[in-house]
Order: sequence, then C-alpha cells, then structure tokens
Amino acid sequence: MSYQEKRTITSIITGALVLAAYCIEAFGLYQSGAVAPGDLKLWAITMLKYIGIGIVAAIVIQIVFHILLSVSIAVKETIRDGKAAEKEIGKKIEREMVEDERDKLIGLKSNMVGFILAGIGFVGGLISLALNSSPVVMLNIMFISFSAGSLFEGFAQLYFYRKGV
Amino acid sequence: MAKKFEVTNNIRKLRFFADEMTQQELAEKAGASRQTIHAIETGKYSPSLELAFRIADAFEVKIGEVFDYEVKEG
Repeated sequence: MSYQEKRTITSIITGALVLAAYCIEAFGLYQSGAVAPGDLKLWAITMLKYIGIGIVAAIVIQIVFHILLSVSIAVKETIRDGKAAEKEIGKKIEREMVEDERDKLIGLKSNMVGFILAGIGFVGGLISLALNSSPVVMLNIMFISFSAGSLFEGFAQLYFYRKGV
Repeated sequence: MAKKFEVTNNIRKLRFFADEMTQQELAEKAGASRQTIHAIETGKYSPSLELAFRIADAFEVKIGEVFDYEVKEG
C-alpha cells in the first residue's frame, strides 16, 4: 500500500470518528429535549466546536501518522541491512512521500466527488426547509452532508488509486 | 460505431533491456513516484505528454518507442 493510500485511510478514519462523535452528541441533544426547536445558536456552537475538533484531530493524527511511518521505514531498513545509514533512511522516506501529477489528478477527481455530495446535501437541506421542516434539520443535513462529502472524497481517492484514473 | 483509443506502452520491455532497471529507478529518473510508473506500466494511468517525454528520455529513446496507441471499434 502506498504512502498516499495510507494517508487517505488515516484521514477517512479521523473524519468518520469526528462525524460519529457529532452524530452522537446531536442525537443526545435532540433526545434530551433540552434544546428549544428554534435554538439555532446552540446548534451553531456545537457544529463550530466539531469543525474545530475535526481540524485539530486531522493535524494531530497526520503528524502522528508521519512519525509512525518514518519510524516504520527506519526499522524496516535497519532489519534489512543490519545497520542503515541515516541518509539512506531519509532518502527512502522522501521517496515514499513523492507526490506527482497522478496524485494531483486523483486529488482533483475525488474533490469533485466530495463537492457533489456536499452540493446534494445543500439542496437537500433547502428542500427540507421548503417542506416545512425546522431550520435545525436543514442545518444538520448540510453539516452531515459536508462531513460525509469529505469522507466519500477519501473513499473515491482510494478507489482511484486502486482501479486507476 | 465509436472508435476507442487505447494507449499502450513498452515500459516493461524497455526496463528489461535497460539492465533490468527497477520501477523506482525509472521513477527517480522521470521525476514521478514508483506507484505512478507501476500504474502506467499496467495501463491504469495514461501519463501527461510531459511525463511521457521524461520517461522516454530516461530510456534515451524516442517517445514513439515507449508509447503507442491502438484503435478499437467500440
């Protein structure tokens, strides 16, 4: 499995965990009845909180992933050669992380998948409002579809890496 | 009936004749990743013209000796 695929899987897992955590909290808020039906402020605060958590988690997990990847490459090289020079290990890590035109193309194509899903969610949210649903429902549909869009972007990326573009 | 164009390549053969050059070595010479070279070799990715020229340059041959295309009746 290539470096890009591993990185994509890490992003998918992070995104899925944050989305699941949001859904659990949102469901809890809704079930408890503590939120007034039109209390958009609380929902906005909750969503902003999860956007922040998502960004921080993505950064932290990517840093941890890069550290673990570098360590695993160093260990593999040391086991193979007995003792591997630091320079060689550095070179190998660099080679693993090369990004070229195919990665960019796959990134663009999978971005499109994410945008389509987010767009469908946006329209779905507007439709729900037009059908007299509460603005809270619309807000949640949009938030979840944007998060799901980013998840599916990752799945699309994996698909393109495996099946080709 | 629509015609289908399929890009084919001789990278595997050229690597063999280049003293069994590895995909990694070719990737470094052409400025791409090993995965991209593998994808091109197996027909999963058609490279840009620039990368195609760089690959041909790595083998020191004309681009036509590396890449070709087949016309198929769809």
